Amino acid sequence: MGTGVGTAAASSRRPILALVPRIRSRAVTALGILLLGLVAFWLVENAVHDIGQFGLVTLNGITNGSIYALVAIGYTLVYGILELINFAHGDVFSWGAMIAYSVAISWLGADNHSGIELFGILAVALLCAGAFCATLNVAVERVAYRRLRNAPRLAPLITAIGMSFVLSNAIAVVYGFNYVSSEPLLSRRALFTIEGQSYGWDKLIVLLITVPTLMSLMVVVKRTRWGKAMRATAQNRDAARLMGIDVDRAIAFAFGIGGALAGIGGFVYLVYFTQGRFDLGFQIGLFAFTAAVLGGIGNILGAALGGYLIGFIENYNSGLTWHAPGPSWTESLIFILLILILVFRPHGLLGEELSTRS
Amino acid sequence: MPPATRTRLERALLAVCFCTLALYPWLYSNYLSTTLTQWLPDTSTAFVILAFTVMGLGLNFVVGYAGLLDLGYVAFFAAGAYVAGWLASEQFANAGSVVFGGTVLPKTPGIHLSPWLVLLAAALFSALLGVVIGVPTLRLRGDYLAIVTLGFGEIIPQFVRNGDNLGGFNLTNGAFGMNGIDGLGFGNTVHHAIHTLPSNFLNELDSRWYYWTALALVVVTIVTSLLLRDSRLGRAWIAIREDEDAAAAMGVPLMRTKTLSYAIGAFFGGAAGAMITLQAGATSPDAFSLQVSIFVLCMVILGGIGNVWGVTLGGILLAYVNYKGLFAAGNTFNSTFGTNVDISQYAYLIYGVAIVLFMLVRPEGLIPSARRRAELVEEPEEENVGAEASPA
Amino acid sequence: MTAELLVDARAIRKEFGGLVACNDIDFTVERGAIVSLIGPNGAGKTTFFNMLTGAYTPTSGEIVFDGRDIVGLPQHKITALGIGRTFQNIRLFGAMTALENVLVGMHSRLRSGLFRSLARTPLQRREEKDGRAQARELLAYCGLSPRAEQQYARHLAYGDQRRVEVARALATNPKLLLLDEPTAGMNPKETIAFVDFVRKAREERGLTVLLIEHDMRVVVEVSERVTVLDYGEKIAEGTPDEVTADERVRSAYLGTKPVS
Repeated sequence: MGTGVGTAAASSRRPILALVPRIRSRAVTALGILLLGLVAFWLVENAVHDIGQFGLVTLNGITNGSIYALVAIGYTLVYGILELINFAHGDVFSWGAMIAYSVAISWLGADNHSGIELFGILAVALLCAGAFCATLNVAVERVAYRRLRNAPRLAPLITAIGMSFVLSNAIAVVYGFNYVSSEPLLSRRALFTIEGQSYGWDKLIVLLITVPTLMSLMVVVKRTRWGKAMRATAQNRDAARLMGIDVDRAIAFAFGIGGALAGIGGFVYLVYFTQGRFDLGFQIGLFAFTAAVLGGIGNILGAALGGYLIGFIENYNSGLTWHAPGPSWTESLIFILLILILVFRPHGLLGEELSTRS
Repeated sequence: MPPATRTRLERALLAVCFCTLALYPWLYSNYLSTTLTQWLPDTSTAFVILAFTVMGLGLNFVVGYAGLLDLGYVAFFAAGAYVAGWLASEQFANAGSVVFGGTVLPKTPGIHLSPWLVLLAAALFSALLGVVIGVPTLRLRGDYLAIVTLGFGEIIPQFVRNGDNLGGFNLTNGAFGMNGIDGLGFGNTVHHAIHTLPSNFLNELDSRWYYWTALALVVVTIVTSLLLRDSRLGRAWIAIREDEDAAAAMGVPLMRTKTLSYAIGAFFGGAAGAMITLQAGATSPDAFSLQVSIFVLCMVILGGIGNVWGVTLGGILLAYVNYKGLFAAGNTFNSTFGTNVDISQYAYLIYGVAIVLFMLVRPEGLIPSARRRAELVEEPEEENVGAEASPA
Repeated sequence: MTAELLVDARAIRKEFGGLVACNDIDFTVERGAIVSLIGPNGAGKTTFFNMLTGAYTPTSGEIVFDGRDIVGLPQHKITALGIGRTFQNIRLFGAMTALENVLVGMHSRLRSGLFRSLARTPLQRREEKDGRAQARELLAYCGLSPRAEQQYARHLAYGDQRRVEVARALATNPKLLLLDEPTAGMNPKETIAFVDFVRKAREERGLTVLLIEHDMRVVVEVSERVTVLDYGEKIAEGTPDEVTADERVRSAYLGTKPVS
């Protein structure tokens, strides 16, 4: 940089001032790498320690991560299009689990069937949960958020918090405050075992539902007319409107898709854990939101990736035995991760750096 | 309009309200308890109502003035509660006996400071915690900040729950919480100062004194709010709430100003937490749920974001509903219709509906500040941050 | 030498992701001058302003203001050093009165903090009183009628909002005043009055003025030097006459057709 003679006084102050941000960003990077290194070492050490346990915990991570991924996408879609953290989304997920319970167990008695009948019942429950939650989420947007679209930024957020309380407590009104639960629906007989640890249908079905769902979502968003309208609206609402896109419907579509995924997530949760409660969605919602931020909010692939990462973190922390903080710290760990990402890398793993300051 | 001098009517109204509140314990025990006992809170409940009102007013510094949505305000409640536990109980009995103006007998194991000092210490510790949490996070955008504060609001109770074994050290007594916390009182200091008074004079105070202490704290919080609102600092907060970038360009140091609002809010949250704990004599991590944060936030929204009187009213009203009104309504309902519904179970359903309705129908709250009305009633313009930021 | 140059920016570069919004721009402003920055939309003018005021940190390069390197300084420090600005789309604090808006502009000049405000010390009260008086003067100086002082900025007429914004910028006591499209939305008569105002303010307050402007009549009328940006590059610099005669400027800024 050609510093002129006249600016000698200035250039003498320059190094320190100019270097501060650079030193800080380097130090952050270095610390981040160090931290990742330690985590990697810890994982390897645990794997060497007990490979069977490690394998099983990994598979559990994939199972839980699937649920987070399904919920996280709803957050990311809505944030991408409205820049709103839809607090009520976790509770839409809870409704999914409860509706799945009502349909599959209370109504069709899935716990007394097996084979092809059970499969049919589950399919019906899956569709019902998905459809119900899609409708619910669209209704929430219509009733609570649409009118506040141009309000000061915090107004819809506060409304979303209110909505979250309404939805979760409405579950309590219908189903009570206690857990509803059933016998395991799917045989927990091992499909295969690793070093004495078994992996059963109850876990496999989670993947069997999640993976095709995520793949079809990608197709819907990338290829269909509504998917394109939604992405255009997320890019620039005014431009989309000028191009003749019905912005209201595009936004409703985003809520619908997000709700459907949350409903499917709720169904999967119920099949896997065979229980549900009104406040189920609170923690899972927060974890899923963390997943969405981790992946880069607004980015669908990132949300899915983040979901699985959160699943791994949760299960490695609570399932591994060698120097793990243990389940009583899981929540703190995930929130600390959330805070670190928001402070140091707000665009997440896959998101793009925003041009304006955030 | 900037707060012009109040009219005579307003002054008179304020004076009447204050006198009624100050005389409430006496009014209640002499007149009201016989007639309206079902609907009116006793002095202890009234204390809790006022203590929560302090929290509402404290949060108003953060949410109302500076426009920072804090969903983890309960963290400061927790901080205040545990400082009270540490400094006025037998938690640290191993450290020997430190009795300084406490209400206990000399040589009682553990630390027992004068509860008045404990209140101050709790408020200051909490403010410090506010700075510690605020410095890394307050640079975040509004909604991210909300999530991060919510995160802290969840981490701190978990820390408290797991804090009975921090490398072998029992800091918080874990899920059991702390018990046997001293109450308000002067110990033997009054007797020491004026020997003619009996040795137990004002040693331990009854529920009326708790109530009056809370009322005094409400007054202090209101006065602080009013004085700061019309000062350089208050203007800077509102400027930040209105347009952060423009405020920075006008020379307002964003981080310092925001952190200050956060710390002041934390200060009062901590004081309220300590006070409630001193009264209850115990505290546990179960008391620090997100619901408390939301409950306090509701006070601010209901009362009118940014308006001190509105928030005071909202706080008293909502805390009343929560601690007395719902029970009373439920009992009346049940005895009238012969049912057995526990309405208080559905408190948060009701609050949720209230938040949504208020934001949709009356976003300016019960008594909005004139400013806030100016902000909400007209169609706000689309923001246009750095219009040329991304080259077209 | 430095004494002559109030702003001496060298090789200023700003990238957003892969996009170069400002490409190694050298730029100087002499003390006491009125300088215009022009260019088509998206040329990087506002980005350049934002780097001067510290809203953005340049990717590389250095900006010396009044003998001090200001790159990396937080915005409020830069404001305190003497750079005041207005915004392209008026950005007043809508729920504050006109007077309060100006008082916020005085923030770095006033001293009362938390404790003085709580104690309402005589110092604080005097400062408030003087501050208000000064703010009133500034508003009157910028042509706002006293009746409008106590109105919420949001409720003011457009022209008055512009006036308040300039008063607010002047309240920071700037050496350099940055005006981002100040005449946008003004009719010809108002524009002429504004040009006179800028000249007057420069003389009376010892200002240096840098403005982004689209209206070429204003540019030619008021500025002593003009810098032209296009796609983040500086394509011309000189007196208004030199610049308007420049072929590259004509093709970039005025369209490819030569203007009659």
